[in-house]
Amino acid sequence: MIVELRTWFRYLLFRKNLKEIDEEIRFHLEQLTAAKMAEGVSEPNARRQALIEFGGIDATGERCEQQRPGWWAGIMTQDFRYALRGVLHNPAFSIAVVLTLMLGIGSSSAVFTVVDRILFRPLPYSDSSRLVSVGLVAPIEPQEFMLGGSYYEWQDNQKPFVAMTSETGVEPCDLTEIDPVRLDCARVENNFLPTLGITPVVGRNFLPSEDRPNAPKVALISYALWRTRFHRDPSIAGKVIRIDGTATEIVGVLPQEFEMPRLQAADVLLPESLDVAAQRRADPGRPLWAFARLKAGVTPEQAKAQLEPLFEYSLRLAPAPFRREVHYAVRPLRDRQFHDVHRAAWILLGLVMAVLLIACANVASLLTARRASRQHEMSVRAALGASRLRLLQAAILESFVLSAIGALAGVMLTATLLHLFIGISPSGMPFLSAAKLDARALIFSLSIGLFCTLGFGLVTGVSRARANALTSRSALSMQRARLRQFLVTTQIAASLVLLAGGALLTRSFWNLQRQNLGMNYENVLTATISLGQTAYPTAERQMAFFEQLQRTLRWGPGVNAMAMSDSLPPGGYHRDQIYASLRVEGQPPYASGTGGNVAWRWVTPEYFRALNIPLIAGSGFTDDELSSASRFVVISRSLEERMFPGQNPLGRQVYLANRAPADQDPPYTVVGIAGDVKNGGLAAGEEPEYYRLRRSRAEDWDRSAVVIIRSSLPAAAMERWMREQIASLDPALPIDTGTLQERVAKLADQPRFEMLLVSYFACTGLLLAIVGLYGVTSFLMVQRKPEIGIRIALGASKGDIVRLVLASAMRMVLPGTIAGVALAFGLSQVLSSLLFEVGPHDTATFCGSTVLLIAATITASLIPAVAATRVDPIATLRVD
Amino acid sequence: MPTPTDLLQGTLDLLILQTLALEPMHGWGIAQRIQQVSMDVLQIGQGSLYPALYRLEYKGWIKSEWGNSENNRRAKFYKLTATGRKQLATERASWDRLSEAISQVLGKRAEVSS
Repeated sequence: MIVELRTWFRYLLFRKNLKEIDEEIRFHLEQLTAAKMAEGVSEPNARRQALIEFGGIDATGERCEQQRPGWWAGIMTQDFRYALRGVLHNPAFSIAVVLTLMLGIGSSSAVFTVVDRILFRPLPYSDSSRLVSVGLVAPIEPQEFMLGGSYYEWQDNQKPFVAMTSETGVEPCDLTEIDPVRLDCARVENNFLPTLGITPVVGRNFLPSEDRPNAPKVALISYALWRTRFHRDPSIAGKVIRIDGTATEIVGVLPQEFEMPRLQAADVLLPESLDVAAQRRADPGRPLWAFARLKAGVTPEQAKAQLEPLFEYSLRLAPAPFRREVHYAVRPLRDRQFHDVHRAAWILLGLVMAVLLIACANVASLLTARRASRQHEMSVRAALGASRLRLLQAAILESFVLSAIGALAGVMLTATLLHLFIGISPSGMPFLSAAKLDARALIFSLSIGLFCTLGFGLVTGVSRARANALTSRSALSMQRARLRQFLVTTQIAASLVLLAGGALLTRSFWNLQRQNLGMNYENVLTATISLGQTAYPTAERQMAFFEQLQRTLRWGPGVNAMAMSDSLPPGGYHRDQIYASLRVEGQPPYASGTGGNVAWRWVTPEYFRALNIPLIAGSGFTDDELSSASRFVVISRSLEERMFPGQNPLGRQVYLANRAPADQDPPYTVVGIAGDVKNGGLAAGEEPEYYRLRRSRAEDWDRSAVVIIRSSLPAAAMERWMREQIASLDPALPIDTGTLQERVAKLADQPRFEMLLVSYFACTGLLLAIVGLYGVTSFLMVQRKPEIGIRIALGASKGDIVRLVLASAMRMVLPGTIAGVALAFGLSQVLSSLLFEVGPHDTATFCGSTVLLIAATITASLIPAVAATRVDPIATLRVD
Repeated sequence: MPTPTDLLQGTLDLLILQTLALEPMHGWGIAQRIQQVSMDVLQIGQGSLYPALYRLEYKGWIKSEWGNSENNRRAKFYKLTATGRKQLATERASWDRLSEAISQVLGKRAEVSS
């Protein structure tokens, strides 16, 4: 409607003007002719001379029209509509360009947004590039940690650092006031904030005198807590609050952007208040995490070298079995925060850059093909007097329309992808949940997309305008075609590599999901409970609560089995110790190294029934043992094979805390052998494991426990019932409920994320390769149009023509496929650490990917092939 | 013979305005008048005349209306507007300044070379 109105409006203005010009010029010509005739020239001759003298009538009319203010805009609208018509006229081509731009722009800005948070995010500390994480590393804890026995020695004698500081971790604490809340309290050394370069926004940092045992209790609170709980009270410093029942003075408020160096959530900072003298003597001392600020010009590597003597000191303190396995590390704080995500992020960035470049190459190739097919039309326009500028303008406008649509689609894809990434990202991927559409990333990819479209629009426009009017083929264009063919071959090879990678990860994920975990996690409901320090200050009180809870829940409707443990398989936290600290009665302790880790849990008798873990031998725990003074243990089959090779373990005594003083290392009686259960996550191998019975004795309990219920009722109903039961005992207790199935599914988040990401890139790569192939094949088809016309004229059948075009496509596909298979064969080794029960050279996967690729490429080249059969031989012959 | 392109930039506008200052005229008449007055030295090509007329009209310095020519044909007549008259004065002044400056330069040069 609007278009019609505008056209009509423009017609009124525009046409009248043209007519006026025409009439005026006609009058001028008549006068000129009359003047000639007055000189004695015959009328036809006079008219002819007048016309010659006047020159181009249309050109003059046009130039008059060009004087009109706003003439440019009129022409632009005209060209714009022409461009739009061009875009709509050839949907296959337009869709291909838009798709390419969308994928290129969308993927790169989404990935850049994600990666930017990891690689380039500024840490909220002053001069953060000089901050490092310092400490010992061991197989048990591969990220740096320190021990009280060594830390102070390091702090006093280190040379490479300006300052060294520590934190001892974050624990739940209760703000016990009128409206009690559960908070996270971090304990830090008094030089913690100055070392990181943070100044409280209100109040002050801890004083050294406040960081001692029995010093008056003080706290720094987070900005969020200050805002929500204290309404930004400016006079907060000096206010006394009760933390876990102890009166504590708030001395300051942390800046809004503050975060712990290990990224734990923390609402309150408390002084470590360690007894330094006791820690120095202690062996091994309290575990803590150390951070330091490098002196100017010192690299982490140099710092590490300078710390060598201190490490030697720590090594002498370490227990003998550890010595060979302990190392030490100094690395930038950022590396520690993103541990293994770091390398993945760089790979991702490289991947997406490649995708963006391929997309650009594709757009270029498609635009050239398009230009080539319209060469004739352009030549006609040029011959009719369209200026080079005008043709160029038209070419650029068409590219612009295409890139604008592509860019818009790209922005939408970015938003969708980001949403998707966040949705499927594993919780271990820091900051991803906070990733927002990043303007810089978007502008970056958009400008690359626009640049390549417009740039190539310009190049092809110029070359077309210069081209000789009606020659249909030139050596130059064939040369360019060869480059594009090579490009497509490369793309096909690259997409095969991605496809094979994606397929391997998909298979591996499939295996991961279907593996036998050694237990049955269906119809199992869990609730994690952590009791507050104030309401349940002693182990007796804690045990009393949990025992009452067991009595309440055990005989509820639909409860088939009910147990309480301190942790859950197959992944996540569980207790562990080194194998060397176990000892069988009457046998010498294990002496060669640590022997690796052994997992263990506190459980109640029905644990095995609740999780359907088979008992291979022995009766397991019985209710009678709950009140016994002696201790009982069930060991896993793999632990049994290691501790009791060829013996019967039942009834044997074992010691579980070798090296500890005798009164802390009581004997346990083995009462059963349980089947092996996955306990190191889904993909990792399993550790030997044992279970200690949680008896009705306070020493076996602490503030946290996991309730496990096997039930035949629907999970949602059971969950509600369970929450009600727990609330009836303690309404203020925070609990975390969920099915075990959900927990297990969560463990698959990381592999799922990897699989989806690589598969996404595989699909993108494949799509781009197909589009590229389509572009080049159609270009070649247009180039060979006269030849095809002649062939048809000479009697070639449709099948012959299709075969001809397909063969030229296959000349790109086959070398690409072969190179791709070879490359994928070499590169899939990189994935082997991510693969589960599938080899990096899995034959079925490789064959499948290759077949898929070839099928897709044949489909892509069928479009131009079919178009080739519709070539009108008469028309092509006439053109030549 | 000087061709229109040999005219200094903006000179054509001045010539047209000056010609129209006497009486309203059509395009053909303007070209003829300039040729006559300049004794055939200045020949205005139609290729520049009409675009110039349109340009001046869009600027509001001249106005066009259809009327009858001497031999009773419909023709488009241009006449100077009030703004056009002011513009003519300004352009004349600047032209006088320019030509004076040029002749001075040429005069001096003649002295030096002599």
